[in-house]
Amino acid sequence: MTRSVRDLLLGLLLVAIVATVLRSAYWLDVAAYAGVLAVFALGVAVAFGQLGYVSFGHAAFLGLGAYTAGLLVTALGWNYWAVLPLCVIPGLLLGALLGVISARLSGAYFAIATLVVAEMLLLLASHWVELTHGPMGLMVSVSPVPGAQAIGWNAQQAYLAVVGAALVPAFVLLRNLRASATGRCWDAIREAPALAESLGIATAQARVLNIALSGGLAALAGGLLVPKVFVLSPALFGVTNSATGILAVILGGKATLFGPLLGGALFAALPEALRFLGELNFAAFALMLLIAVRVLPDGIVGWLMKRTALQRRFARRAAGDALPPATPLVARAHRADPALQVRQVSRHFKGLKAVEDVSFEVRSGEIVGLIGPNGAGKTTLLSMLSGFLPTTHGSIQAFGQDIAGLAPHRVARGGVVRSFQQTAVCASQTVLVNMRIAAHLHRPVGFFGALVGTTAARLRERERLAHALGCLQEVGLVDRLDALAGSLPYGEQKLLGVAMALAAEPAVLLLDEPAAGLNHTEATRLAGVLRELRAKGMTLVVVDHNLKMLMSLVDRVVVLHHGVKIADGAPHEVTTRTEVVQAYLGQAAAPAEEMAEASA
Amino acid sequence: MSEALLQQIVNGLSVGFGYALIALGLTLAFGVLHVINFGHGEVVMLGALTVVIATTKLGLPYLIALPLAALVGALVGWVFNRLAVAPLLPRESGRTDILLTTFAMGVLAYQVVLSIWGPAPARVDGLQGRFELGGVALTAQRLFIIGASIATLLALEQLARRTRFGVELRAVAQSEHAARVVGIDVKSLGSRAFILAAGIAGFGGGLLAPITSYSPALGQAVLIKAFVIVVMGGLGSALGAVVCALGIGVIEAMLGLYVDESVATGCVYGLMLLTLLLRPQGLLGSRT
Repeated sequence: MTRSVRDLLLGLLLVAIVATVLRSAYWLDVAAYAGVLAVFALGVAVAFGQLGYVSFGHAAFLGLGAYTAGLLVTALGWNYWAVLPLCVIPGLLLGALLGVISARLSGAYFAIATLVVAEMLLLLASHWVELTHGPMGLMVSVSPVPGAQAIGWNAQQAYLAVVGAALVPAFVLLRNLRASATGRCWDAIREAPALAESLGIATAQARVLNIALSGGLAALAGGLLVPKVFVLSPALFGVTNSATGILAVILGGKATLFGPLLGGALFAALPEALRFLGELNFAAFALMLLIAVRVLPDGIVGWLMKRTALQRRFARRAAGDALPPATPLVARAHRADPALQVRQVSRHFKGLKAVEDVSFEVRSGEIVGLIGPNGAGKTTLLSMLSGFLPTTHGSIQAFGQDIAGLAPHRVARGGVVRSFQQTAVCASQTVLVNMRIAAHLHRPVGFFGALVGTTAARLRERERLAHALGCLQEVGLVDRLDALAGSLPYGEQKLLGVAMALAAEPAVLLLDEPAAGLNHTEATRLAGVLRELRAKGMTLVVVDHNLKMLMSLVDRVVVLHHGVKIADGAPHEVTTRTEVVQAYLGQAAAPAEEMAEASA
Repeated sequence: MSEALLQQIVNGLSVGFGYALIALGLTLAFGVLHVINFGHGEVVMLGALTVVIATTKLGLPYLIALPLAALVGALVGWVFNRLAVAPLLPRESGRTDILLTTFAMGVLAYQVVLSIWGPAPARVDGLQGRFELGGVALTAQRLFIIGASIATLLALEQLARRTRFGVELRAVAQSEHAARVVGIDVKSLGSRAFILAAGIAGFGGGLLAPITSYSPALGQAVLIKAFVIVVMGGLGSALGAVVCALGIGVIEAMLGLYVDESVATGCVYGLMLLTLLLRPQGLLGSRT
């Protein structure tokens, strides 16, 4: 029995016990409402906690779910309990649409788009009177839960049991997802979207999936709400409900799934507790939101975890009790030669010709250095090779396949992976989690495997972990597994960046100034790592200003100056060329001491 | 073109100019601080309320009440900035947190107004008089809105071009890092920009109050319209905001001839979603 199945059964058992034991109509009502709000808060937390996207319009999904159930019952005469699962569908669809709309943009656009959509639906529900009865409200008759009487449950007990039967699987499945590659992709997208793309994560798709799930859950909550409210009114779409969802997540805490659960429970009880405030009830919510964001950003659960040792225990459990032995890194088998073929590539920024008509080849298994003075266009060229910048003209082929114009994650999946000049790691995650994020392409698990947490998926997860450890071993950072990536010294962060790129299984590795900021020992270590990678058959393109290290390492150098290629050849041959020396030292005629020394 | 249509275009333009100021405030704060003020609408509402109170309770003339609205807007902006923006900016998740805190401040402002002055709408008498031009009537208030908005836009343009404050604003909008390097006090500049944006919003509220009439729910409606405008114009683009504001004012007024007002509003929202789907950088924004 897997952990998910065990927890699912335990959760359902708990729900059954609570539903049987609770007799007071008041507490049954509060408990059921807490469950509905918890499902809603989980929906909000998927987008907010994982992607960092705030929504001011999750009531759109809530209302959509409720009206779907209500209309199917009133207009078609279907049984409410039978249509309940269908409520998820419109939420998923609207979520996917909103995901497509905002996936390319920042979270601010998502906040605006959700608010506007909720407002549109509110208008629609108020004015399409023939369908929704407008502000008068849609009265929904809910038949008794089938089979409830046989168990001896009254209507309220049965309602609570149904809410629980929706909440428990939602919780367990979401927990599985968060612990899977899918969930880690969301973490990566939240913290470092460009890095995520560079590692082969399809960020736009992952965002759409996330928001669709978030909408589906919120719509399910809306469907579940029907027996409580009885009469559906357009106010369901109102900003009060959206705000309740956000506040439940913030107050409860968004870092773990227990936060939304607690938040949901709080908000089922709070309106009663705050009744004495009368109309200022909502003002109290707003004040709590303000205070919570300012002084309790991790929410109650997050705060408790920090105060107690819980956090460390969670972290240890999440990391697995024992790590598998590292799998040594094996480079991808040689494919067609040449590895990279760059033909007459240009990139213009308005009037500026950053790269102009550059052509060169990189053969499989060689290390090519890309050098040139500052502003020569090296990083621009690297960005075009990795899909981060479109080319203005020209073609780029990797192993005979055209890659110019592909999205970065497609280029990475094709085997061309880059590192970044500035350190790019998920700073608030541990080194181990960073590596697991980066290794997501190794033995991938499908969405449903991740969701259900199948045995096969867990096996693959372990293999992936072993692969990640192997890559980390390659750069010598295995003793740093539990350190937060952001707390590592600069040099180690850069090495981690290289290890992450390796974990994405490149055939061609593009390194943008890997040695910048490294001290002499670290640079030497890096050069050793790169040589070893070549020995394993990997192809490397390295941009760096540490010419001494670079020249001792590379098979060939390509020299750029003002965006134009001025030399291409073996290191000793290139450094004696007058145009290269001039590019580096202006008009001086004597060969650069450093270059001569470096090539010696 | 029928006279009715022409009339609606003129009416739409005057409302559009009011929207332009409000949206400009929103986009100014975004351009400089990269934050979205979800309480912006309530600042507009407070501006309108100021005019209501000043003209009806205090018996002040409209032209004196109007600067008061800008002042109240700026004051509210100062409070928002102190409590909900400046302290959170240094955080890594600051921009997200500010969405939440400004939203909370907006709700607080709305609730306070509701509990003190109640939910009842109120009428404001603006400038009196009307002009006829070839069958199209233009009230003095609408003409004044157009004139005052254009004057404000031109003044802001001059501010951005000619003053040290304006040049620094543009520098920060272009690159915060570079601005810091050359010694611009980005933090204080951001606060001043936020307060200026709120002042413009309050002024816009005061301008629109006589033609749209005041109610506490005004803020929410205006906020969403301002969002639609800045998103369609491209967040952070001043020109985009002005052009789209005029466009939306006119479209709304023209649709109002044929369909219910709320259907017209719904259509405008739909336009925004369509823009996001087809041209996410905004109609006038450039793809970068």
